[in-house]
Amino acid sequence: MSYYDIDSILTDAQVKLDPSPEKLPCTFELEVPGLGILEGNPGEDIKAGTRIDLPLWLGEMLSIGARLGTSRLVTLDMPDALAERVMNALKADPRTVDLRALAPHFYTLSERILEIFEEEEMVDVLIDTFKKRAAEISDHAHNPRGAVGEGVDFLRGLDETERQLFRAAHDRAKEVRIWAGEAKKK
Amino acid sequence: MENPPSRVPPSHIDPDRVATMYGELGNKLVQHAKRTQALAHLPPYQTEIVRAVTREVRDLDRDVTRLLDPFEGSFNPSADPATACALLVDHLCMRRNKRCLMAYHRVRTEKLEELCWTGVDVLEQQQPSEGGEDRGVPQAGGGQHSSLSPEEEEYFRQYGDMLAAYKGQWTDIDLTGTLEPPKDLFIDVRVLKDAGEIQTEYGVINLTKNSQLYVRQGDVERLIAQGFLERLS
Repeated sequence: MSYYDIDSILTDAQVKLDPSPEKLPCTFELEVPGLGILEGNPGEDIKAGTRIDLPLWLGEMLSIGARLGTSRLVTLDMPDALAERVMNALKADPRTVDLRALAPHFYTLSERILEIFEEEEMVDVLIDTFKKRAAEISDHAHNPRGAVGEGVDFLRGLDETERQLFRAAHDRAKEVRIWAGEAKKK
Repeated sequence: MENPPSRVPPSHIDPDRVATMYGELGNKLVQHAKRTQALAHLPPYQTEIVRAVTREVRDLDRDVTRLLDPFEGSFNPSADPATACALLVDHLCMRRNKRCLMAYHRVRTEKLEELCWTGVDVLEQQQPSEGGEDRGVPQAGGGQHSSLSPEEEEYFRQYGDMLAAYKGQWTDIDLTGTLEPPKDLFIDVRVLKDAGEIQTEYGVINLTKNSQLYVRQGDVERLIAQGFLERLS
């Protein structure tokens, strides 16, 4: 995850007007003057106890004060994309969950969130999810079933990491065929 | 705790910006960059957004100065956590905007370097591609003729010079040549644009438009990449 990595910047982002799930529900612990712009009221103050969805890049740093034990600025909640409900669905069957609808950068988001929260069980569920889905992705990449096959819904629900995985698996299979002389270029 | 000066509603916030959350414009820029990564050509430089993001940074910086002014250099964060929080938010937003700007420009310069290596001359190719863009989306650059910013044009030129100087050290190897071994030594090509005479091992070839020639691939590789010749299969 480099400073210049576009995908990692997008993981951190949340556009307020867009109902993106990659947001961090934060509760302000103290009254802050002039910060109303975060809520969409520029010039106003933020009252203690206000709940706002902040982008990850902002919420993460604001919450650090709480961990250092100095002053507590905001408290964080789990974002919707990683709610209990989602975890249960993933435990039941990882392949039927539309990760993209939850968060376009689902795995990178989880990674970042788990740096903040300590959730051993969630780590296991996510690793298991990735493994099961990776096998399925590889199957789809090697045996294309066209645009109307049963796998369409699954492929549409891939998050960004999985899309890249799919593309890599698909392209490599083709390249091996070219190398072996079974297929022609282009 | 009470700081009357910081309660004054910031009057410097211009009306256009009211609806936008800090960092939103930067995000737009990064989305542009994401799209650029997948494209073969370089889309127009987003002058307006870049300018708006830098303006936002300046506003934020002014906000910080305004917040710190009453303290006269003796600000103690733990004594006034509310102001500290506001300062932190300002600072984080500036840092975020910086990252967005850097990433956007880096994606574009990497693309430019890539074009340099493949031998595409962006500065020459603008004329035809411009017509296509004008019909489609009106570009944010607002009447700009080039899809590059002036700085990018300069960068492209200098990078090209540097690459040429580097390549000049090995006259018998073409560093930017294709890595694929040729299947045929000689190929059929059609001349798309007049390129004048070129010297080859087999003598002089005159490249006049629309003529068709059977030439050694190595001799004309560069000309194909530059769009003077078209390979016939």
